[in-house]
Amino acid sequence: MSAFFFVVLAVLIITGALVTVIASNAVHAALGLVATLVALAMTYVTLDAHFLGAVQVIVYAGAIMVLFLFVIMLLDATRPVTAHNPVGFVNELAALGGAALAGALGLIALGWRDPRPLAEGAAALRNGTPGAVGETLLTRFVLPFEAVSVLLLVAVVGSIVLVKRPVSQPSAVPEAQPIESGERAGA
Amino acid sequence: MVGTEWYIALSGVLFAIGMIGVMTRRTAVLIFLSVELMLNAANLALVAFARAWGDLTAQTAVFIVMTLAAAEVAIGLAIIVTIFRKRASTNVDDLAELKG
Repeated sequence: MSAFFFVVLAVLIITGALVTVIASNAVHAALGLVATLVALAMTYVTLDAHFLGAVQVIVYAGAIMVLFLFVIMLLDATRPVTAHNPVGFVNELAALGGAALAGALGLIALGWRDPRPLAEGAAALRNGTPGAVGETLLTRFVLPFEAVSVLLLVAVVGSIVLVKRPVSQPSAVPEAQPIESGERAGA
Repeated sequence: MVGTEWYIALSGVLFAIGMIGVMTRRTAVLIFLSVELMLNAANLALVAFARAWGDLTAQTAVFIVMTLAAAEVAIGLAIIVTIFRKRASTNVDDLAELKG
């Protein structure tokens, strides 16, 4: 039964990933990535990482993808995204290289033998509940945890500084929508 | 239970698909999406190995990687928006001032 779930989830993950890479509309690509991320969250649950499955849905499929979709809408969603590549044969090269990489990684991975019975390892994970992960996070890894919180703060401040418009810059207003005021019409 | 090797193989395939995306896409946002794909492939491998060894360290690492990804997306998309304002384009072939 778990093999059946794995095959279904793997098909979902790979289909979503292919849509992300191939779709000509950027919004479709982003939605393909959402499908991949949700299927990955379900895969995490089958791997006894329940907390990570929930975080994957909330942070990745929720927050990060909303940010991506906002930016895609803000920029140029309708333009063709794989238009005229300066290197003519890059698609064939990428497909060849990707197939070679996938084959090599797959062959290496299938040679892996589990160091101990899987049920034993899964039991040691205590289902990967928030309590179990949080205990590790706030005892052994408390310094990386604090460093990451500082990093998040820096990222938020940095992104605000990056996109903040200088106050006196009238040329930043798009020309298609001139700002009309009643005073000018009267003058 | 499905063996760890199948999860690692799936992670490898996902990573390769992400690499194809990085190579073929020409828009900065879509290259970024493909990088996210590769990041998630690495996360899947970590979670699978966490079960193989019965160690929660890898799951903690995945949690930290997710936070890093959130910070990276915030900064990266801010940079892309800034470039788009200046150039009205995010095609990576147009942004080639640094080439020799």
